[in-house]
Amino acid sequence: MSRYVIWAIAAVALVVAVIVLEPFFPSQKASPAGPAGLAGEAAPVFTLRDDRGRPVSLDRYRGRIVLMNLWASWCPPCRAEMPDLQRLADSYDDAAIAIVGVNEGESASRAQSFAESLRIRFPIWVDASQRYGRTYAALGLPTTVILDRRGVVVRGYDGPLTFDQMRAAVASVVQTH
Amino acid sequence: MIGSVCAAVVVVAAVAVQLVLPGQSVYHAGWYNVALCGAVIVSLIAGRRELRRVKAPRVRWATIGILFGTAIVGFAGVLSGLFAPDNQTVVGAPGERIHVESLGTLSFPLASIGTSATSVSLERPLYGKVEVGERRSDAGSFILRAVQRNVAWVEARDPRGNRLTVTQPAGAAFLSPVLLMEHRQTIAGMELPFDSFNVPAARRVVKAVLFTPAQAAALAHGLGSSGDAAVLLAVDDEKERPLPNAIALSTGGKAVTVGGLSLRAVVTQYPAVEVVAAPNLVATVLGGLLVVGGILALVIRPVLSTGDDRSNVSQDDAALGKLDPSRR
Repeated sequence: MSRYVIWAIAAVALVVAVIVLEPFFPSQKASPAGPAGLAGEAAPVFTLRDDRGRPVSLDRYRGRIVLMNLWASWCPPCRAEMPDLQRLADSYDDAAIAIVGVNEGESASRAQSFAESLRIRFPIWVDASQRYGRTYAALGLPTTVILDRRGVVVRGYDGPLTFDQMRAAVASVVQTH
Repeated sequence: MIGSVCAAVVVVAAVAVQLVLPGQSVYHAGWYNVALCGAVIVSLIAGRRELRRVKAPRVRWATIGILFGTAIVGFAGVLSGLFAPDNQTVVGAPGERIHVESLGTLSFPLASIGTSATSVSLERPLYGKVEVGERRSDAGSFILRAVQRNVAWVEARDPRGNRLTVTQPAGAAFLSPVLLMEHRQTIAGMELPFDSFNVPAARRVVKAVLFTPAQAAALAHGLGSSGDAAVLLAVDDEKERPLPNAIALSTGGKAVTVGGLSLRAVVTQYPAVEVVAAPNLVATVLGGLLVVGGILALVIRPVLSTGDDRSNVSQDDAALGKLDPSRR
């Protein structure tokens, strides 16, 4: 039998072995749990209502970096984090960075009164059926997700962030995206 | 040659059965895999002897095809039988993405209350997205199928009608209002699906037990039954101490007021994914084709054989009973 035939058989055997063995040696590491595991994926887009009842969607923020904060009024760390989010919103130009607070599962009136009590001026959306909480794999509240200008998740954070952490996270995305 | 071909056919048939009837425990049994290995070895040894003996190129190539195909199919079958994981059913919350080792990521559809979903998406590196529905889907070394399960969507409101956040600290997804009912509890001799959720704003923990329409009718005898599935809701305080008079049955998605909450549970169907290991489909088909092709090359006499072709028929073909040169 010619040498070429032997090489051809060996090559086919190698390909078949790779196909058969591939599932037993997964190359992909499991993603980290929670919102951090969504890094690199397109952010899901839903049409929600804001706290005034107007329809809103992430689509309108394409071209801007978006920091999306999932919160609820009963969550003490969410309350503690809100003033820092407003401070962050004040420190950036609206045309470059958008900060959105998404209330998870509560009524619009409750979200609105909560935002007013803390003098929050950035947009507050109401996610009545908690869809963002589910798709961002929130492990608790608050959860913060940063999207790049194309609407791709860049970073995800479980738990409250300090103002310095928020600023550093946004600054790194501004520089690299 | 007969021994090699018979053993090859046994190997291909056994592995084909694993694909047609996947998920049987016998495929993981030691004796089954030893027998499969034995058949492969018999085929290889008998085929090697034949290769040493025969000289005709057609017979040699046919034999090589059979041996090679048998080795591929046997390898795929034994590897699946010995090393593949046991059958599992992956249950996920709407919107949840679950990474399954050796398979990929299952994305559960983001259905909303009152709507149904029938398929789940499978994403694998280097492969396209596959929708896993009620019909089986082959995904490399696994066979997948979506099966419908009963789940309960819950909604909680305070006495003024304000919607409240529902959380599941011990559930598949923390912020999901969908109870997947993965646990079981025995009540009145009936083993029933059971789950729980929290309403943090009201500092309440709610336990939920799912009843089929028949069970709900038996439970509510004399009270009138709507013929719908029902969810028994028991409200505890945040330390899971039962509250007085805080048990109610929500039937047909109707709201009940209990434990200071207005609760509504809607029973609906939502897909889970059955994951069953099977021999690699590509390898099995490739190996099977080699075996079948080899056997056909051995047994089918060239239809358009000419006189010249017949004069080229060797002693080896004669030995296989194809043609007797002494009669020419």
